[in-house]
Amino acid sequence: MLHRKQRITRILLLLPALVVLLALTIYPLVTVVYYSFFDYHYVRGFEGFVGLGNYRYLLGDLFFTVSIRNTLVFALLATVTQILLGLGFALLFNRPFWGRQLFVPMMIFPMILSTMVVSAIWRAWFHYDYGFLNNLLRAVGLEGVRWLFDPAIALYSIVLVDVWQWTPMVFLILLAGLQSIPREYYEAAQIDGATGFQVMVSVTLPLIKGHLFLAALLRTVDSFKLFDKVYALTRGGPGISTESISTYIYREGFRYFNVGVASAASIIMLSVALLLTLVYAGQVLRGQRR
Amino acid sequence: MTIVRMRRLVGCALVALALALPSALAQPSGELVIAGRDGVFGEALTLATQWFTEEHPNVSVELLRLPYAGLYENLVISLRERSGAFDVVMLDDTWAPEFMAAGWLRDLDEAAMAINPGFVQSALDAGRYPYAEGPVYALPHVGNVLLFAYRADLFETHGLARPESWTDVLEAARTISEQEEGVHGVVFRGIRGNPIVTGFLPLLWAHGGEIIAEDGAVVFDSPESVAALELFLALKAYAPIGVEVYDSSEVRDALQRGDVGMAIEIWPSWIPALDDPAVSEVVGQVEIMPAPGQTVGPSPMLGSWLLGVAADAPNPDVALAFLEFVTSDDVQRRLALEVGLPPTVEAAYTDADVVEMFRWYPAQLEALQNARARPRIAQWSQVESILGDFLQFALIGQMTPEQAVTEAHRRIEAALGR
Repeated sequence: MLHRKQRITRILLLLPALVVLLALTIYPLVTVVYYSFFDYHYVRGFEGFVGLGNYRYLLGDLFFTVSIRNTLVFALLATVTQILLGLGFALLFNRPFWGRQLFVPMMIFPMILSTMVVSAIWRAWFHYDYGFLNNLLRAVGLEGVRWLFDPAIALYSIVLVDVWQWTPMVFLILLAGLQSIPREYYEAAQIDGATGFQVMVSVTLPLIKGHLFLAALLRTVDSFKLFDKVYALTRGGPGISTESISTYIYREGFRYFNVGVASAASIIMLSVALLLTLVYAGQVLRGQRR
Repeated sequence: MTIVRMRRLVGCALVALALALPSALAQPSGELVIAGRDGVFGEALTLATQWFTEEHPNVSVELLRLPYAGLYENLVISLRERSGAFDVVMLDDTWAPEFMAAGWLRDLDEAAMAINPGFVQSALDAGRYPYAEGPVYALPHVGNVLLFAYRADLFETHGLARPESWTDVLEAARTISEQEEGVHGVVFRGIRGNPIVTGFLPLLWAHGGEIIAEDGAVVFDSPESVAALELFLALKAYAPIGVEVYDSSEVRDALQRGDVGMAIEIWPSWIPALDDPAVSEVVGQVEIMPAPGQTVGPSPMLGSWLLGVAADAPNPDVALAFLEFVTSDDVQRRLALEVGLPPTVEAAYTDADVVEMFRWYPAQLEALQNARARPRIAQWSQVESILGDFLQFALIGQMTPEQAVTEAHRRIEAALGR
């Protein structure tokens, strides 16, 4: 009897969260999957069932396939660079040095700014004639770089902006990880005669593996949603060299109101993001089990 | 107090109430919700609503000042859902066909509204459905028209005449770039989407090219379109490096710094800063004119903003009263003087105080009177976006003009056929 009462209490306590999940996640997801099989324009309404027609259209559309490639390249490059730089800064700040308490708030400053402000700052810095970056290059006798209008460079320029803004977050996560390692492990390694490199590979990295995966997961998922920087800096150009899946979906969904096509693109994007999340989450959980 | 005196007092009060009631009822009252733009347009609407509520103290106004894309999304979603969220809506003239065809705006002729007879015809036509002929659904509030700017001092130095054709523009751009140290011949907005299309359309029309024919057929793939695009690309050689991603801020900066000899696209709200010594190094040196012609006469592009009453407006009477107020000669004149809002009524353009303050207004009125509206189709946003993509491909050299025109034509046809 008591057992049954406990079960009912548990269900009642969980119910509000389940209702919110159902209303805000499950229902929209099911609706988007449903719309993706229809030729559905928001203003004109349903214009027929097309089965996988929207998916076929997307996979044959150069703009969409390029946007997938750009998004993957961006997510990979941005995440790897942020992890490497964040780890480097975290190792540096894990040791005591003069002014450390002053430099940490300065380090996280870019993360506090809104992305639109960050983009506006970098748009000015990227200006070919008057931008801070090209002025710096010219001051040391180098040629100015066509940061945003060379199709071969523009995507990497946006990676640079993302790295500037979000490396601080990776740095904070990894610094927390480093500070949670007991000193005894290092003392034991020292007694065993381990070199600095050996300590890093055999002690530090394995012990912050969970933090590394967490940082990588958060940054990959966020980078995968790339929208605002592209919108503010290049609008997907020059050509389609910086078009991302999110900007593509935005155009189809909110500029053209082609809900069917936008829904199909969203499902493809969600599937890729889900796959990446499962890989990362699997790694984190495996680490915890050990 | 005797009963007789009491009756007299009540009688007097009732008579006073009866006399006051009709005028009180005639006064608009209630809450007015307006969906408008940000920036200068938003400032003008804020001022206008303040003046309106001073005249109509029983009205309270909630004004939403939204960016371009945000306003469009909000309007489409709320008007399509018949949410009754807005009474007055501000719309770009290119959105008007979609909104009017969908029945989202109130027919102002049917509402027996007193429409100002002094509107510039081209501006008023954009608010009619069908275009220029049907009933009025929206009134022009911002008389935006695309203009052309050139440095009169540089033209004089190099013996150049005011450009009458796009070939003259190209020739002047070459001369200035080659002979004027540190100055580029020309500038335009090259960034993908609406900006690059806006710069290109006056060239296309001047060459006799069209995107959509009157019967709705796509006619972009033509020798005229290719010729216009070739000339557009030729101008790039004399533009600042990076013009491919230039948006309005870069064009305005380049003009104000005196880095360029001409701007093929300038909007009325950008012009006052050119004569402001605090931000401009070319005070009094920039001349404004309608865009030049080529094989056909000048075709300035209409970029007006309209105000309409939502079909599901909770307070349509107050909304109609506001529209009448804000489009009156006096308010249009005051808005021009206070915030530099381009008027839509002829009386404001010919007002002595206004012309004294804005020396280019005669040219602006001429351009507005001859202005051409962009194709009146519901899917213009999509067509413009496709066109913007392929103009960019040509601008960055990833496609030849012929390829860009043919592929844009094919895509536009497919999009309209979807």
